[in-house]
Amino acid sequence: MLQLTDVHRSFGTVAAVRGLTFSIASGATFGLLGPNGAGKTTTMRMILNILVPDRGTITWNGAPIDGAVRRRFGYLPEERGIYGRLKVTEQLAYFGKLHGLREPVLSGRIAEWMDRLEIAAYADRPCAELSKGNQQKVQVACAALHEPEFLILDEPFSGLDPVNAEVLLQALRHLQSRGATLVLSSHQMYQIEHLCTDFCIISGGLVRANGSLAQLRRDWPTRTVLVEPASVALRGVLDRLSGAHARPQQNGTLAYDVPQTLDVPALARDLVAAGDLTRLERLEPSLSDIYLRAIGETP
Amino acid sequence: MNDFGIIFEAEFARRIKSRAWLLGTVLGAAMIVLLSAAPAFFNHVVANSTHGIVLAGDPALVAAAKKLIAKDFDVKAIEPAPLKPPTLADLNAHADAAAIVVLAGTHQGLSARVYAKDAGGFRTTRLRDDLIPLNIAVAEHTSSAAITPLMDFTLDVESLDAKFHDEASANSARGFAYVLVLLLYLAIILNCQGVMTSVAEEKTSRIAELLVATTSSAQLMAGKIVAAGATGTIQLLAWLGVGWATAAGIVNSIGGPSGGMHSSETATPVIGAIDLPTGVIVAFVVFFILGFLQYATLYAAAASLISRTEDLGSVAGPLTLPVLGGFLLANWALGVPNATGVLIASQIPLLTPFVMFTRMAVVTVPLWQVALAIAINVLATIAIVWFAGKVYRVGLLMYGRPPKLAQILSVLRTS
Repeated sequence: MLQLTDVHRSFGTVAAVRGLTFSIASGATFGLLGPNGAGKTTTMRMILNILVPDRGTITWNGAPIDGAVRRRFGYLPEERGIYGRLKVTEQLAYFGKLHGLREPVLSGRIAEWMDRLEIAAYADRPCAELSKGNQQKVQVACAALHEPEFLILDEPFSGLDPVNAEVLLQALRHLQSRGATLVLSSHQMYQIEHLCTDFCIISGGLVRANGSLAQLRRDWPTRTVLVEPASVALRGVLDRLSGAHARPQQNGTLAYDVPQTLDVPALARDLVAAGDLTRLERLEPSLSDIYLRAIGETP
Repeated sequence: MNDFGIIFEAEFARRIKSRAWLLGTVLGAAMIVLLSAAPAFFNHVVANSTHGIVLAGDPALVAAAKKLIAKDFDVKAIEPAPLKPPTLADLNAHADAAAIVVLAGTHQGLSARVYAKDAGGFRTTRLRDDLIPLNIAVAEHTSSAAITPLMDFTLDVESLDAKFHDEASANSARGFAYVLVLLLYLAIILNCQGVMTSVAEEKTSRIAELLVATTSSAQLMAGKIVAAGATGTIQLLAWLGVGWATAAGIVNSIGGPSGGMHSSETATPVIGAIDLPTGVIVAFVVFFILGFLQYATLYAAAASLISRTEDLGSVAGPLTLPVLGGFLLANWALGVPNATGVLIASQIPLLTPFVMFTRMAVVTVPLWQVALAIAINVLATIAIVWFAGKVYRVGLLMYGRPPKLAQILSVLRTS
């Protein structure tokens, strides 16, 4: 388990991280979310021991993260880096060796990951000659070649077309199946929501929300109900609900935020009594809703 | 293999196969050949700084000689013929004169013996040319045919510096020192720029963050610098071969004060006369290592601060100045190895590798000065490596405009 406890980090007068405390269970797929400048990259760098916290502790399975532990970690930074003149296999071999892989395992892993990420056809090509998407897959392979027990991926889907995004998703599923702990940071909420089991939303260097999606939803104070048709009678029922707020009407559908504790069967009875109800749906908040609310941009 | 070994191996392979390294090796060798003409400049410095002499011997000859050499030499004193060979102390007693010239007349012409502080640097040819009329006047001759050999007489020059027993070996050492200093300069600047380019490539391509997440910045920097040092050594060995071959031309070109290729001095057997003690070769290795470490770490640190290749010039420019300054001072030191400015420069880190090495190659440098210079430079190297290592570690993660010195220091304080 990775544990961050009261972690602070400043750069000059700028406080990038202000007392972060959260944990990531072994084998979890963890979404670290936040707007630009929230402190995500600083947090990741501190987890990897690239930066040292001013205050607080970061431990992996109860021990500080030293060079030996870090060798078992993997990292895909947001800003991609590649040796343009090196061939794909040379690039992978270099990073594989730095992560402790040796022959014959090294060659096997290189072949395996090139197949998995569908870049085997470019094995002997200099990286600079590859498309941006394929370069990104080479970088993913560099980060995952040693099948790390803990892998941080900063915006892994950025710049990938849907087909390559699916290839990457499958590669991450493979790592999940092997028990790797994954930390993903992304602004592509849909993919993160479906891939991650736990989340931490940070903003201004502080934790704003933390937990599984079910926990985050449980703490969410409202739900959205959708009602059709958008008749005056049905609207009247909804307007009379205590704590209900109308949202912009969409395509003939009435949308209202209502308290989480609302008695939906009772509402259904009232709506049926009021008119020709054709649709009543109660929506759970999406990760995007929770994220926007957590960072202070209430949807 | 640990991370250092892996980084070294990868970096070495990249460097040795790079066009820049291959081109640098070839161009460096070509430059050594081309720059063999450069000592003409240095001779000018020598010519202007070794003109004070003491005349001794037959009063009539001395009086005549004084008039003949007045335009080229400053006669500091006139002495009777010494009973025993003069010493360095005798020269120092006469306002630090460059030589004592003892004149005597025989029926075959003028007998002139020069006791020079630095036989290689003394303007022997100029003195001889000035004294030709006196040689003709003194000799007993009856025909014009007998005059011809009198116009090409030889001065006996003895060096009072214990390092070289005669002018020929002093000249050889000076020429060889020139080649070695040139090699030192080229090896340091080319290989340090190689380190800088490598760091800049990793920084601008953003691969640096991936690397420091995998290994320590110290191992990363050490691997790069040692690999560059290894390729630099290979380069040096290649250049040494070329330098040795061209030493003949260089020695001849600085053989006399006018840099001319005439007179009996040109008959010096060049390669065979190179008489550099093992200590100088050891000094070359020591100062190459010290200089390379000092500059390579600074270049690595500077390159870690840039985000765009276009900014490389602005951070590397200031570092080129001490390298160039050291090289120019070394050229100065070839002519006046004991000048006060040279003495001071030979103790200043970043300059020492060039200047002290040059002094050691051409004169006997007191042991304490060598020891002090090495001690200062070892300490300075440790400090530079420590400072550059911190800048490198922080700089690799800094993006945006190249920071100012105050910003760097501020970040270092908080890192």
